[in-house]
Amino acid sequence: MNINEYTRVILAMIELEIRRIMHDRTELYLRAVQPLLWLLVFGPVVGSFHSIPTGNIPYTDYIMPGVLVQSTTTVAIFFGLVVIWERESGILKKLVASPSPDVAIVMGRSMAAGTRAIFQAIFIIPFAVLMGVTIFPNPLYPLAALIIVFVASSGFASLSIFIASILKTRERFMGLGQVIILPMFFGSNALYPVSSMPPLLQLFATVNPMTYIVDALRGLLITGNISQLPLDIVVIIIFDAVLISIASMSFKRIIE
Amino acid sequence: MNDLAVDVRKLSKKYGTLLALDRVDLKVEEGKLFALLGPNGAGKTTLLRILTTQFEPTSGDAFVLGKNVITQGEELRELISYVPQEMSVWMDISGYENLLIYSKIYGLSAEERKDAIRDSLQLMDLADAANRLVSTFSGGMIRKLELACAVMIKPKILFLDEPTIGLDPATRKTIWKKLRALNRESGTNVFFSTHYMDEAELYADEIGIMNKGKLIKVASPEELKRSVSSDLVTIESGSLISRSVASHLRRLKDVSCVEPKGDIVEISTRSSEESLGGIVKSLLADGVVIKKISTRKPTIDDAFLRYAGTKGSSQDVGRLQELKRTRERIRRG
Repeated sequence: MNINEYTRVILAMIELEIRRIMHDRTELYLRAVQPLLWLLVFGPVVGSFHSIPTGNIPYTDYIMPGVLVQSTTTVAIFFGLVVIWERESGILKKLVASPSPDVAIVMGRSMAAGTRAIFQAIFIIPFAVLMGVTIFPNPLYPLAALIIVFVASSGFASLSIFIASILKTRERFMGLGQVIILPMFFGSNALYPVSSMPPLLQLFATVNPMTYIVDALRGLLITGNISQLPLDIVVIIIFDAVLISIASMSFKRIIE
Repeated sequence: MNDLAVDVRKLSKKYGTLLALDRVDLKVEEGKLFALLGPNGAGKTTLLRILTTQFEPTSGDAFVLGKNVITQGEELRELISYVPQEMSVWMDISGYENLLIYSKIYGLSAEERKDAIRDSLQLMDLADAANRLVSTFSGGMIRKLELACAVMIKPKILFLDEPTIGLDPATRKTIWKKLRALNRESGTNVFFSTHYMDEAELYADEIGIMNKGKLIKVASPEELKRSVSSDLVTIESGSLISRSVASHLRRLKDVSCVEPKGDIVEISTRSSEESLGGIVKSLLADGVVIKKISTRKPTIDDAFLRYAGTKGSSQDVGRLQELKRTRERIRRG
């Protein structure tokens, strides 16, 4: 157990992911289509009803952080497919037989997904601006937002690795991916304020980590109101810690 | 105990009710090329994976280079390299990048890394292809890249699970030449599994025959062949071989077994060269017309057949096809 060992495995895996993205960005482009539709079609159309209380923010601006989170979470959740591929090939066996501790492998694979999510965000944010979304004018805030995207997506990737270690095949996994993302998305403050939800859904929204991620990003990217940010960060870190631990514990199961 | 590369004592592994390893005892000295030979499902992979600390045995002990695989896994993993049977490189980056990432995972320093990557690429003849995406590599090149990853970190012992499965004979030969050179020059232990008898015979210093979770026999290829002892003489005649003909043959010196099968008779003898004269004389005396004579020296196949009681390579054809398909599917992503 030493920090260097962890850092080097994690950095190597982040580098691997960046090299992978440099060779082939198709997935990034394809995954950008969906969020762009939300911003291009859903936002303006629903916004034109003026039925959702968003304060004095245009509706498209309001949903932009949520759409961003949905998109980067999708990237992270489907990272489990990469891990399943690595299981079907012998890569995971080889990693397990290498000196890297399991926790470092899980963290490395998760943060690789976080890295991919950052690339996704870097792609989506300028597009949103082009479509007229006003980003809060403080250059440090978007930077902080990217860090939130990275950390949150890493947590979801750990969740994905945990699921992969149970399901083990890509077919089952494909089905489950959407089943996880959509309820979290609709049961959060991504498209409407929590206060406008029925009581039961409100309860779900308050334990839904996505609510906190969206809140953090909305504060940083749109409203500039970061009063809730410390709470959001605490929730996201707890979420990460729990999922990384669970994924690491079940990691060996994936290769058996 | 320190001069043993592998020391396995009463090792068993159960998957549910299936006994994958059944009280295996094995000692392999340092510096050897050791082959585990056996049909699929014999337990070879299970043994390799326990030795590479991927999971724990149900009972028994195993030591690699004097380190306990269960309690000293962390130290042990610094000393070993493992190439699984399946493809184990990333397809969507280049060969060079694969080595780079692995070297970083293993914590090679920046200076070490440069030389190690260059040397291993050269050793495996991949220097020219290094910057191509692995997805454009042939099966043989991918295997060489996997081996390059494994040797790059200069392990004390190299564990290879079916290293040449699905490769053409020429590539198999080159790979073995390189592994053998590595073993002879740097003393790297090589512990591999295979179901190719010829490979075990040609390249291993010692062979362990496995079947149904049991390690049945450990010996050098020469010893194994000798222990099978008899040559086989097959005589084809135009007419049915009668019982009296067979019984005359049985009386000959050094002949251990005579099996008439219609117009063919198979004779086992200590040495076909020495017995052939007597056999022919006896047959002619009985008025048997000889159409064809063939003799065969024992091979590892025969030894395998004797110890494992089953044919090795033939039944693996289906499995091999399946593996090729899986590899193909994995390559396509």
